[in-house]
Amino acid sequence: MAVDTQERPAPTASQEGATAEQDSRFQRYRIRTGMFAWMMHRLTGVGLVVYLIIHIWGLTALTDPETFNALIAKYHSPIFKVGEFALLVAVAYHAMNGLRIVLIDFLGWSPNQKKLFWTLGAVTAVIILVGGWPSIYSLGEWILGPGSMPTLFL
Amino acid sequence: MAASTSNALNWFLHRITGTFLIFMLITHFWVQHYDHQAASVTHEVVTEQGAMPDYPEEAKEGVRARFGPDAEATPYQVVMQRLADPVYAVLWKGFNILFLIVALHHGFYGLNNVMTDYIRDPMGRLIARSLSWTVALGLLIIGMYSVITAGW
Ligand code: HEM
Ligand code: HEM
Repeated sequence: MAVDTQERPAPTASQEGATAEQDSRFQRYRIRTGMFAWMMHRLTGVGLVVYLIIHIWGLTALTDPETFNALIAKYHSPIFKVGEFALLVAVAYHAMNGLRIVLIDFLGWSPNQKKLFWTLGAVTAVIILVGGWPSIYSLGEWILGPGSMPTLFL
Repeated sequence: MAASTSNALNWFLHRITGTFLIFMLITHFWVQHYDHQAASVTHEVVTEQGAMPDYPEEAKEGVRARFGPDAEATPYQVVMQRLADPVYAVLWKGFNILFLIVALHHGFYGLNNVMTDYIRDPMGRLIARSLSWTVALGLLIIGMYSVITAGW
């Protein structure tokens, strides 16, 4: 998957067609859930790189108090509260699926470990709920009015 | 071929950096969103132009303790509690730089894997690879500059 494909044998003539090549690329992944998990891993990974670029670029504001205040104030806008939650979902999914891949690679666990898959899935859900509560809470307070959301552990 | 050994090493490093990132992102998330004194982002939505978020009492006290009784808890000052300290800041700046390096290596190595999968032409791959690592290097320099000079 993520191993460099430079040394892959040249495609034979019958695989040259665009559709044939697409088919062969996907047929290697026999487990449907596994394939979906991999596609989401790739999608979240690339999304996080995009965020990281914007983030580091934005942080040049650290050199000037006014600019930095404006940046962090922007982080408090409603769209960013939604974005913040989406970011957490992407990070949590990518991190836990990445951990699953590392455990399979290093401990030699079988990729078919359904138990590992669903355990980490549950952990991911908990991370999203607990970690995402600040964003959900602030959006709720804003939409439903102050005091309408339970503070819980905040 | 030298490329294949370095690919195996990079493949291994990618797993290591990924594992490191779990711990670093937990720390980052805690410090930016949860810690009442240090979090730069509060549990508040700000919609007015130019309005600033209101920080919790712990943050206000922390800012006053470090920058004097009149110091206001603005986002900048809240973050500077950690980054403007003469001694303690070294740890945070060090952490941020390490985080920066690890995240960039993991992210851009991963991005190169994705690009190699979709770009078939060797010349195209070379261009994509050189371009992306140039961007990563640029971000490393910019990021290190901002975090090192912040508050000093
Ligand atoms: C939070 C901890 C993280 C862990 C445990 C982790 C783990 C992994 C692993 C094991 C892979 C290899 C997947 C494979 O070989 O199929 C991977 C791929 C990738 N990661 Fe991460 N990662 C983390 C965070 C991040 C972050 C913060 C970024 C972005 C800056 C990122 C971007 C990527 C990209 C672009 C790929 C390539 C996806 C692909 O080849 O399909 N990862 N990650
Ligand atoms: C909404 C969530 C986030 C907020 C509010 C946030 C905020 C910040 C702030 C204020 C800093 C300045 C340094 C400091 O305070 O110590 C920083 C640094 C940094 N953040 Fe984030 N961050 C967030 C998410 C992320 C994510 C998901 C990543 C990884 C992909 C990330 C990677 C970094 C890195 C690498 C640095 C160090 C930058 C440098 O050294 O120039 N952050 N972040």
